[in-house]
Amino acid sequence: MNRRDALRKTGMLAGSAVAIPSLFSLLQSCSQTPRLGWVPQFLNEDQAQFISSFVDTILPKTETPGALDVKTDIFLDLVYAKTYSTEGQAKVKADIDQFNADCKTKYGKVFAELSSEDKTACLKDQEATTATFNRGVWGTAVGAQEPVGFYRQLKSQALWGYFSSEEIGKNVLSYDPIPGEYLGCIPVSEVGKVWSL
Amino acid sequence: MANFNIDADKALTYDAIVIGSGISGGWAAKELCEKGLKTLVLERGRIVEHVKDYPTMNLDPWDMEYRGGLTPDQKEKHPIGVRTGFIGAANEHFHANDIDNPYTEVKPFLWVRAHQMGGRSLLWGKQTYRWSDLDFEANAKDGHGVDWPIRYKDIESWYTYVEKFAGISGEALGLPQLPDSHFLPPMELNCVEKHVKQRIEKEYNGRNMIIGRVAHLTEPLNGRGKCQFRNRCDRGCPYGAYFSSNAVTLPAANATGNLTIRPFSIVQSIVYDEALGKATGVRIIDSETNEEIIYQAKIIFCNASTLSTTQILMNSTSSRFPNGLGNDSGELGHNLMDHTYRVGASGLVDGFDDQYYKGRRPNGIYIPRYVNLKDGPQSDKFVRGFGYQGGGSRAGWGQGTNRKDFGGEFKDKIMNPGPWEFFITGFAEALPNHENKVYLNKEVLDKWGQPTLSIDAEWGPNELAINAQMRIDAREMLERAGLKEIVDFDNKHEMGYGIHEMGTARMGKDPKTSVLNGMNQIHACKNVFVTDGAAMASSSCVNPSLTYMALTARAADHAVSELKKLNL
Repeated sequence: MNRRDALRKTGMLAGSAVAIPSLFSLLQSCSQTPRLGWVPQFLNEDQAQFISSFVDTILPKTETPGALDVKTDIFLDLVYAKTYSTEGQAKVKADIDQFNADCKTKYGKVFAELSSEDKTACLKDQEATTATFNRGVWGTAVGAQEPVGFYRQLKSQALWGYFSSEEIGKNVLSYDPIPGEYLGCIPVSEVGKVWSL
Repeated sequence: MANFNIDADKALTYDAIVIGSGISGGWAAKELCEKGLKTLVLERGRIVEHVKDYPTMNLDPWDMEYRGGLTPDQKEKHPIGVRTGFIGAANEHFHANDIDNPYTEVKPFLWVRAHQMGGRSLLWGKQTYRWSDLDFEANAKDGHGVDWPIRYKDIESWYTYVEKFAGISGEALGLPQLPDSHFLPPMELNCVEKHVKQRIEKEYNGRNMIIGRVAHLTEPLNGRGKCQFRNRCDRGCPYGAYFSSNAVTLPAANATGNLTIRPFSIVQSIVYDEALGKATGVRIIDSETNEEIIYQAKIIFCNASTLSTTQILMNSTSSRFPNGLGNDSGELGHNLMDHTYRVGASGLVDGFDDQYYKGRRPNGIYIPRYVNLKDGPQSDKFVRGFGYQGGGSRAGWGQGTNRKDFGGEFKDKIMNPGPWEFFITGFAEALPNHENKVYLNKEVLDKWGQPTLSIDAEWGPNELAINAQMRIDAREMLERAGLKEIVDFDNKHEMGYGIHEMGTARMGKDPKTSVLNGMNQIHACKNVFVTDGAAMASSSCVNPSLTYMALTARAADHAVSELKKLNL
């Protein structure tokens, strides 16, 4: 089996519904677990609900797994717990609480409890009103970066958590840990999805 | 690989001592050992054996608990590393502890250090370019600094010598300002890079855009494997495909049976004997036991890296040298240089939507210097010059952050290759300026109670004038190459960020104005050689490491020849 066949095969596996238990099925199968389905290390229950709901709205399950399928929410909670400074931790909690408070003011409920229409409207509004990251050169933003705010930072983290997961990185994107060669011009059809590494 | 002999305390006397095991120290060790000298390498950090001590070399993001993120404890140990942005979970263990090893920024200066066997040869960018007479004649021509005591012809054969062993890939072009190396096959440009190259070379007479010349093997060499295009170099390469002391020079030195390497050895000073009129040894502090030991040798190579070398020389005082070993001129610690960078432009390239690439090439493009050459356009705003590095690639999933959408369709879209981006970022030559200096700070001591360095340096008007031109030219080149949505930038970084620190113990013809002679010997203490970046009398605009390698091999050859003649 050559590498492309392998990719196709794993791609099919990833798209099948039976391969990955979704959060929904976990909840159904065990009614005694907390409402969330996982125990946050850092966030409180409401904040964790927000993160779960946020990453699910940005990256829902389609033919490929969604952010909840690969536990992006659990990973972000871990990142806040283990890699953030005390100040950074306080800020992320305050930012989530503020986001929820704004949702309540505008839509009457916290983000996780909004209808999917209202969630979409809420994030569309964020997209329209927040700054974007400057282009990067060698990992550093070029020029003077205006503050991007909580929404876009969290969107960026959601993408990172999702695409750096083993399931997506290995089985959904094009994965080639040891390319062995550099080919500068090949048809995109020979690769398919974006390289994961 | 055979184990390294680390039992230095059995013998306190050697033929040669090499201080430091980075790019230049590794070469000194190899050359001296191969010429039959019993050589002691003093390394202030731990042993890092090739492959065995590369714990992260094969980790995918998901194999790391925080997928590359650092914990607060790690960040606290590496405030300088965090400021550079070059540090992550995959290479944290190769960065020095900034808290144990403080320095004082009189003006902002990033000093990136790697305290282990191999030093920064594990972390370097691997861009390798010969300097030319444009560089070696620059000081004499425009009067900045002092004239180099050497010219290209003095070092040319030594470039070839080190290139054949290190393994340099690239394309021969015959450019006088960027002499060709002894090359392994070049890496390939991708579609968009080829396109931009063609446009730039058509638009501008005398400009070239080439694949970077790099110390990566594109063919196996001496038992080392070729590059596998994983781009995980800063974790240590399991194939030994890029040049590092760990994979290349130190194993060669070890194979002679003449090498002893002593880890955890902080060099406190070089011992000078007034009666003999030369150095007789090196005083170290064992970083684990705090024990002080003096090792003796006939010749000493100081290769601790630019600023650490100068720090050692400054700390090596005697009644003959009250202001630091070899500092008769008062120039020790002065004329600190670096390269400016992070000034350039970036844009998008239309078309090529059906094209992609395979492999993570640890290399990009290079645009050699094109102003203030012997012939061709001259600037009335600045002396010296600049070149650009850069590259083209297709956006990955990261494009999703800035896109104005989200949701299922969005997710599936960003799983496909995004727009082609292309950027260039300049590297400018810095002038040697006496006012850019370092000096010993006896108020701030390191973990071992030793004086530290204060660094007092900043870009001058010439560097800032070059930066302004680099930004203008970068935008113009990308515009004329037909790029879209061009952003030009100048990140106005502090000195040190280029991690090309050079000078502070410069070579020169005159002992009154320089520290080292044309063979990298201290003028007034000829059995001490300095062949790292400290020796540089000017900074060129191209990367310096290859020149350190060549100067080191040349100086080692001279040292052994002088030893045989009983001149040292």
